[in-house]
Amino acid sequence: MTEFEPKEKFKHLAKIGPNILQCIACGDCREQTDYTANPPKWGVCVAKDHTSGFEPYFARGKMQIIRSLWQGKLDLSKEMAEVIFQCPTCNACAEACAYDMDNVELYEALRAELVDAGCGLEVHNPMNKAMVELLNPYERDNKLKAKWLEKLDFKVKDANTEQVENLYFVGCTAALTPDIENVAINSAKIFNKLGIDFGVYGEQEVCCGSVGMRTGDRKAFNSVANKNYEMFKKSGFKTIITSCAGCYRTLKKDYADHMEDLGITVYHTIEFLAKYIKENNVQMKNLGVKTTYHDPCHTGRHMGLYEEPREILSKITDLTEMKTIKQAAKCCGAGGGVRKGFAELSIDIAKSRIQEAEETGAE
Amino acid sequence: MKAAYSRNVDPAFPDRWADIIVRPETTEEVSNIVKIANKYKIRMVPRGGGADLVGGSVTETGILIDLTRMNKVLEFNKDDYYIVVECGITWGALISHLHPTGYTTGVIGPGSGFAATIGGGLSNSTAGGGSTKYGLVPDICLGVEVVLPNEEGTIIRTGSAANKYAQPFCRYGVSPDFTGLFMGDVGTMGIKTKAFLRLFPDPPYKQARMYVLNKPDYNRVFELSKQIRFEINEALRDISVLPPILIQMRLPQFKKETGQTISAKGPLMNITIEAMEESTLKVKLEKLTKIMENDAVQVPGSLINPEFDEEPKFGYDLEGTFHFFQQSISPMPAQISMATCHKIPISHMGGVYDKIIDFSRKHASEFSGGAVFPGIFASMLYFLPNGNFVVLGGVSGKNIEGEREKNMERWHRKIRHQVRYGGAHYWLGESISQSVTEAGAFTPEYEQFFRDMKKTVDPNYLLSPNKFHLHTYDSKFKDYYVEEED
Repeated sequence: MTEFEPKEKFKHLAKIGPNILQCIACGDCREQTDYTANPPKWGVCVAKDHTSGFEPYFARGKMQIIRSLWQGKLDLSKEMAEVIFQCPTCNACAEACAYDMDNVELYEALRAELVDAGCGLEVHNPMNKAMVELLNPYERDNKLKAKWLEKLDFKVKDANTEQVENLYFVGCTAALTPDIENVAINSAKIFNKLGIDFGVYGEQEVCCGSVGMRTGDRKAFNSVANKNYEMFKKSGFKTIITSCAGCYRTLKKDYADHMEDLGITVYHTIEFLAKYIKENNVQMKNLGVKTTYHDPCHTGRHMGLYEEPREILSKITDLTEMKTIKQAAKCCGAGGGVRKGFAELSIDIAKSRIQEAEETGAE
Repeated sequence: MKAAYSRNVDPAFPDRWADIIVRPETTEEVSNIVKIANKYKIRMVPRGGGADLVGGSVTETGILIDLTRMNKVLEFNKDDYYIVVECGITWGALISHLHPTGYTTGVIGPGSGFAATIGGGLSNSTAGGGSTKYGLVPDICLGVEVVLPNEEGTIIRTGSAANKYAQPFCRYGVSPDFTGLFMGDVGTMGIKTKAFLRLFPDPPYKQARMYVLNKPDYNRVFELSKQIRFEINEALRDISVLPPILIQMRLPQFKKETGQTISAKGPLMNITIEAMEESTLKVKLEKLTKIMENDAVQVPGSLINPEFDEEPKFGYDLEGTFHFFQQSISPMPAQISMATCHKIPISHMGGVYDKIIDFSRKHASEFSGGAVFPGIFASMLYFLPNGNFVVLGGVSGKNIEGEREKNMERWHRKIRHQVRYGGAHYWLGESISQSVTEAGAFTPEYEQFFRDMKKTVDPNYLLSPNKFHLHTYDSKFKDYYVEEED
């Protein structure tokens, strides 16, 4: 009988190294409520709050599951996946942890193990398949990604054929969702107004792979990541700007090695604009509108981008903060494949976040 | 599910998997679980926040009762100074609820975290921020609602609430103090579902000051603390003391960060003062300065942690209190501390100090990789209201499979040593409660009384059966006695 060797069996987890067994099980990730803190904390884990709340639904339980797998006391299973995939990977647990653990890195490795073992969520398969085959996870014709450009009254450079200083990486969601395409349209208008040299890939833009990475399908992720790498290598730009929080995290963090190779800097639109405004002393008019700001997990806790959006919003609007903000901000519930895998849970979490936003009186 | 509930914060117990895990929402549901457990003779272990350092909230086989769904504030009575909560509410949630109201429970819970529950604090008789002034967690308890682990799943209320006509406004007077039966019982006598807690006006003006004593002289610490108690009196909220070795280790880095040199060689005293008025606080701080001026230098909070403010708020600020503590449990993961915290009377300090140092020197090799600093007296001292204090400390061990048995053996040995020099522990859990029994702490008469009480509430012996080595009614504590080793 051969001895159980976790490093051989769990290759994704093995890459993380000693952190796998680092959790001491103190449970601070269960519920850090501290009204006296700045920003105040009202709990940690939205998955715990909106499910049955048993331990596997928050970080400590998941860390013990990983420990048990690593020790050969537990097997990967579809039942395990049902629980593990209900986490929107917001990483609020990592903020609560006294030991600076990157919990999401561990959860994503565990998801990759589950998928490799054939235990992933079936509902994620069409999405990841489409990402590889159609180059977007929405199962739509990628040509539609250029549709929003028709609504502009100026021409945007084609980064496939023209030299650009900055690539505007639109992302599948803004490019393919009519309700959200204004994000792309308005971003382009701002760049144009400021005279920024930029271009887009349009119908040839390849999904960044975020959904594959978040849902454990590393093959799907690698497929699109490699395509993007080749495209970026061919182009001469040194800056990528994206308005999508998921693309931002993926391009900047998950592609970090690629980007370093190519000498490319990745900015979120807000980050890029805040820098531009500061460097060029751009004067802005306050529109007198009452707003609030939701910190997306992928720009906030995953990447630490908290101040730039607030700097801009407080200049052009009357910014009123929600009850939970910045590192302590509640998640919207859509990330980590939860919207696709557990729509009801996702909406439930989103509702409470929207309620927080409504309580600010924002217009 | 079972794997997720398999560990506490310690490197000694093996992973333990319960058969059934439940998360009840009401006292009646707890009672029903108890009835079922009795019907089928299944052991039960209640669990609060699960940040237990002593193996108390995990069970091998049986039912694990996760009480965190019972997390509501049921009554906040400002006029009569009490609050009724479900025992699964966390200290973080309770303190946050009270913070804007101007009321406080005084002691703000155990160091085991924001996520520690009120029930856990009561079951473990813990100390925490505010304990120098307000005492241990049970000291603020006016009574509890408890499900007894018998066949009927009987629900009782203690304190004034035992009088069915009365509000839960005081602890004593209706009957014997049966609240005490459930304080520090580590979940052996009943399952606490509601707690009635005292409230105090929360003094809005608080300030902490840190001093490093010129000399490594603990006797001076106690003389100074006595003077502080008498002269600062009711404004004194907390005194804690860090040992010189920890301060000396931090000094080079502190110098790099701040450019400051501190030549004092003694322990660090962290003193928190609170007052209802700013002017009173000022007067008390001036008094403190005068008391300390010849023996110590005032130092900034960043001396012990670069993230702390000039004057650290641990003792009354949740994050300060808990994170400082959490990081001490495992300064070098995956090493985790096996808690050895215990109380001793101040007048015994000198003798106990020698015993602790002797023991750790004698066993230094055995604890190698275990004791972080062989020869250290304590990782912190925490003063309690009436002439005693907590020696906070631990022996660390690697949190890996192959080391657990050895870790457990060392841990028990150290606790037995402490019991035999007269230490009184808290958060007994499974490990420390067993060490107390192994050390032969209880007289046969006390053992009989203890067993009779247990049998009265738990005739089938199902609730937390391993604690205190109460494995069966037929066994005797002497079966587990371990001869004095040192």
